Amino acid sequence: MRVATTARRRDIQVAYLLLAPTLLLLLTALAYPVGWEVWTSLTDLSPLKDGPTAFVGLENYRRFLADPEFWRAATVTVVYAAVTSVAKLSLGVGFALLLARPFRGRALVFLAIFLPWAYPASVSVIGWYWTLNPPIPTAYSVFMGNVKYAVDGVLGGGAWAFLSVTLFNIWRGSSFIGVFLLAGINAVPPELFECAVLESKSAWRRFWLVTVPLLKPFLALAVFLSLTTAFADLANVWMLTAGRIVYPVVGTHAYWLAIRGGQFGPASALSLTLVPFLLAVLLILFRMFDPPEKERA
Amino acid sequence: MAQVMMKDLNKKYDEVHAVKDVNLHIRDKEFMVLVGPSGCGKSTTLRMVAGLEEITSGEISIGDRVVNDLPPKDRDIAMVFQNYALYPHMTVYDNMAFGLKMRKFPKVEIQKRVQDAAEILGIQELLKRKPRQLSGGQRQRVAVGRAIVRHPQVFLFDEPLSNLDAKLRVQMRVELKRLHERLETTAIYVTHDQVEAMTLGDRVVVMKDGWIQQVGEPLELYGRPANKFVAGFIGSPSMNFVDVKVADANGALWAETQGIRVKVPPIHTSRLVPYKGQQVTMGVRPEDLHPASGSDPREYCFDAVVDVVEPLGSEILLDLRVGNNTIVARVEPTNRVKVHESTRLALTPDRAHFFDLKTELAI
Repeated sequence: MRVATTARRRDIQVAYLLLAPTLLLLLTALAYPVGWEVWTSLTDLSPLKDGPTAFVGLENYRRFLADPEFWRAATVTVVYAAVTSVAKLSLGVGFALLLARPFRGRALVFLAIFLPWAYPASVSVIGWYWTLNPPIPTAYSVFMGNVKYAVDGVLGGGAWAFLSVTLFNIWRGSSFIGVFLLAGINAVPPELFECAVLESKSAWRRFWLVTVPLLKPFLALAVFLSLTTAFADLANVWMLTAGRIVYPVVGTHAYWLAIRGGQFGPASALSLTLVPFLLAVLLILFRMFDPPEKERA
Repeated sequence: MAQVMMKDLNKKYDEVHAVKDVNLHIRDKEFMVLVGPSGCGKSTTLRMVAGLEEITSGEISIGDRVVNDLPPKDRDIAMVFQNYALYPHMTVYDNMAFGLKMRKFPKVEIQKRVQDAAEILGIQELLKRKPRQLSGGQRQRVAVGRAIVRHPQVFLFDEPLSNLDAKLRVQMRVELKRLHERLETTAIYVTHDQVEAMTLGDRVVVMKDGWIQQVGEPLELYGRPANKFVAGFIGSPSMNFVDVKVADANGALWAETQGIRVKVPPIHTSRLVPYKGQQVTMGVRPEDLHPASGSDPREYCFDAVVDVVEPLGSEILLDLRVGNNTIVARVEPTNRVKVHESTRLALTPDRAHFFDLKTELAI
């Protein structure tokens, strides 16, 4: 009895030892920054301010909730995330289904679909920027210039810039989701799809009754990744518009406040405002795609 | 009433000619087994019948209809796959009902059919479970059930027992045979296991490299193999093959090689006359060799040295050396012969086989 207990205790010690590197990494790279950010959001910390940092409680949050600028940025962020996610998912599923079966020239199509994601974001951004704003005057550049004026004329200044950011996100993201879902399809035994072919002629019904349920875990992860990257997007918006931001998202707004404005407290509060919302969305998502199952004996 | 006809059936992929000029008539209610080593084209043939593979050339008809251009759904077939192909997100009931639901059968009818099939297969208790809560044997029953509920004209089985362990495989084999007798539906069954083929098939098709080697009833394939491949493939342990020279002496034909000199059995004599002085392959099954006794004619006996003794309980397999050849003999469990000992064997004369050395066809 005693021997068993000692052995078990040693097992537990070894387990903690093995977990230690991961725990250390999580604590230093995740828990500490998040904790620091939460703390900062409750203060008026700023490098521009003399004197000690004061604890201000929920003041930073209260200010945002009353600020129309914040609501605008939040709305734009949600729309941005929703629109890009729906588009990326639809295109990604399409790409994956297209690539799942062999056809002539498949390798080239695969390359074309995969490249936007495989390139570093900065390179993709420049490629995209020049596609929409050609650097050399040609008939095409004139055409794109007209498109820009037309869009801005209808939707207001900066609309074209924001639209191009959205399209860029979709272009690059659907590439990744396509390849990701292709891996998912390849992980499903082909007989499961063939069995459906034996029972129904309608590709549409087979898609909804068989493909979607079988790919659920992959779809859930794809939506998750898509939403989080869109919600936290700052780099793409910034790079594509060179900081001339007319439609701020929460990320760019927080960046302005912190890096340009030196207001660390409000900026931290701002970037944390979306967290509860995001958590709720994720919870619903996982409930939807991976319902807790009553196991039977 | 559904016979299946295949006429000059071919399947070519880019570089591989997988199925070559297959002509086959599967009769109504017949249990036809396609057997052969992997890559022999048997699964491809089955999949063309199902409509999962396009036909390169030739014609397949089910019943009276040519089905070449019919989508799989309209061919009135039901298929059972090797890995069961059950949908993990559906219960056993929903899996079995899937095909009927897709075909928009009324709910009451679906329920009745699923219940009936579940009863036949003894899986009524499992209907509410998910596939991952089932054992391999149970899953295979559900997969068979899903096929039964459709009341198809033809059942297609693609190695349905290969994923089961040996004991369960034997048990399911018997169940499938019983099921076929009960349902009386035409069935095409693909397997690489010759024992399964022999025990299940009304007739068996042996395939190799895309060609049909022989079609026949199990005992016909065993007793009169058309060529060396079929002779070696059917039967376990495999038939022994020894290259011998056909010699003429004392007014009779003899098959000779180092360490063996046996008389050509009378039933083969006339056909072997043209091979006089030439090499042929002689085939003798392990069960057609036995320790020689006084009653065995001397011209059918030879000596061999025991290499390995494999006692299996009900029988003993002896691996023996004769000249440069290694042969296997299946002997009574009471046999007391030991390793390295020399022993005298006799063959059952009318059970010997001879094959052309080049064409490998039976002589």
